[in-house]
Amino acid sequence: MKKIIINIGRQFGSGGKSVANALGERLGITVYDQELISRAAEKSGISPELFSHSDEKKRSFNLSSIFDGMLNDGELFRIQSETIKDIASSGSAIFVGRASNYVLRDMDCLDVFIHAPQEVRVKRVMERQGISADEAASLMEKKDTSRAEYYNFFTFGHWGKASDYDLCIDSSILGVEGTADFIIDFCRRTGMVE
Amino acid sequence: MAAPTILGTEKIGKLLKMYAVPGIIAQTAASLYNMVDSIFIGHIPEVGSYAISGLAVTFPLMNLSVALGTLVGVGSMTMMSVLLGQKNYEQAGKLLSNVLSLNIIIGGIFTLFTLTFLDPILRFFGASDNTLPFARDYMIIILLGNIITHLYFGFNGVIRAAGNPKLAMGLTLFTVISNAILDPVFIYVLGMGIKGAAIATVLCQTMALSYSFRYLSDKKNLLHFPRPIFQLNSRIAKQSMTVGLGPFLMNSASCIVALFINQQLGRYGGDLAIGSYGIINRITFMFIMIVMGLTQGLQPIAGYNFGARQYSRVREVFILTTKWATLVTTLAFVVSEFLPGPAVSLFTNDPELTENAIHGIRYMNMLIAPVGFCIVVGNFFQCLGMVKTSIFLSLSRQLIFLVPMIYLLPLWLGQDGVWVSFPISDAVSVLFCLFFIIRLFRKFKKLNDGDDPSILGGAL
Repeated sequence: MKKIIINIGRQFGSGGKSVANALGERLGITVYDQELISRAAEKSGISPELFSHSDEKKRSFNLSSIFDGMLNDGELFRIQSETIKDIASSGSAIFVGRASNYVLRDMDCLDVFIHAPQEVRVKRVMERQGISADEAASLMEKKDTSRAEYYNFFTFGHWGKASDYDLCIDSSILGVEGTADFIIDFCRRTGMVE
Repeated sequence: MAAPTILGTEKIGKLLKMYAVPGIIAQTAASLYNMVDSIFIGHIPEVGSYAISGLAVTFPLMNLSVALGTLVGVGSMTMMSVLLGQKNYEQAGKLLSNVLSLNIIIGGIFTLFTLTFLDPILRFFGASDNTLPFARDYMIIILLGNIITHLYFGFNGVIRAAGNPKLAMGLTLFTVISNAILDPVFIYVLGMGIKGAAIATVLCQTMALSYSFRYLSDKKNLLHFPRPIFQLNSRIAKQSMTVGLGPFLMNSASCIVALFINQQLGRYGGDLAIGSYGIINRITFMFIMIVMGLTQGLQPIAGYNFGARQYSRVREVFILTTKWATLVTTLAFVVSEFLPGPAVSLFTNDPELTENAIHGIRYMNMLIAPVGFCIVVGNFFQCLGMVKTSIFLSLSRQLIFLVPMIYLLPLWLGQDGVWVSFPISDAVSVLFCLFFIIRLFRKFKKLNDGDDPSILGGAL
């Protein structure tokens, strides 16, 4: 079987993670996100808390930048990248977030960005977290800002900009399952999936 | 990924040696450089004591220049190491070109501004009619070479990060040695005085910079300058400056402290007192910089093992570093209290200045022995990610308690008030360090290797 590697970037509340899971199920491939963090931690001997602490957060200015220890965000990103590369080189995988499209830029992969209109995302976040519309909107704003800062700082690219990806899809049009179908269809045409 | 595995397994003593020695060499080289300059300047016939006071007057301005260097330097180095870690040489090259342009712009603005208002600035920093000509002569050359200085330090860091630390070290040693050779030639043989010292400094850095420039232009190296060589990307500029803002503020704080010290010494003791501080500062920093080098070894070892939850190893490296650091600062204490004569005579043969400096160093370094411990503690908290504690401890010794005392004590004690501010501030800071470290180690005791560190409470 041919190796399949799909990187999924996503707006908060766009259902990107669900699309990734649907893809994983249909293609029989492991989806890496939180699991990825613990694997990275295990391998380097560093406790998972430190990773979740810096998980897709890159504070542009914080006091710790005054001093620069070894376990800075850059070092953690490097260890995480090594892990992503290791996983990708050993077989098929679907990665969610963590700038994996950049980390694996020298490999043959499909880079997808999942987004959705504001109202749809607000609704999904409200249901998932059980919070009000205002709270959902501000949470989305916060999460997306920190994802963008993280991605842009480490990759020098532009988070969510079409030219950084192969495919950008509004998940609200076809729904989670339909979007996953569409991506698989796309992979067939590129020859990644037989 | 070679480094992390040995950080968790190799003997602590061996690791510390491995990681600290390069840091110590680099820091010692930097302080030797300044010392050599001061020694030659202090011995300029007839005017040596005014010249060395003139040099001391420029300290705050020099600190400010260093601070501006870190504004661009630290941020771009952070980005550079991320890019090199990802083997993204194309983007790293672009960053290199941005570092070049940014340094030229910021350094140029600083030079223009300070040269225009040089006399009032130096007067404000404590220059008198006697010392102003020397401070001015020195500073004009240094400021004209300001861009070169920043680029030299910036590219030296890049070369180190790009996997050639030996070349970076070699260039540093080259500037120290060539400066020591050129200093006497320009100062005495060509009779240029204090101006000669500044010319030697800029010339040596120009030579080192040309070499690193050639190295970074070589297309055989993975990291090299792209075309066009001057690039300015607003995003890179913004990013590197936001990261560099913290170090910039810390260094600006040291500029302000140097300014207060000079002003107060000038007011209560005149040129002689400022000159004394210049000498004492050089002697003391020699030792402090060695401790700084030691902490560069502490950081990766403590940071890694804390992350790996090996608390016994964290404790071990802390204790070992503290021992060495305290030994170094105890040596500083011995020199200051029992051998101040020979130490001061390195810098001047003026009897009045010698007497004043000996008097000053005895007071100022009375409690320097435990300062090594304090510096290690401050760094240690930083390694564990308890940054607020770390910043508080570092500021408490150098700013929070020092500045008010330097202002108040001379009201009763005159010049001595400035000198005794240092041991008092050191004492307060030792108490704080003890308080924080004992509290931390009590909590450490409850942790076995492998336990969740969350009981430490993160930021403390």
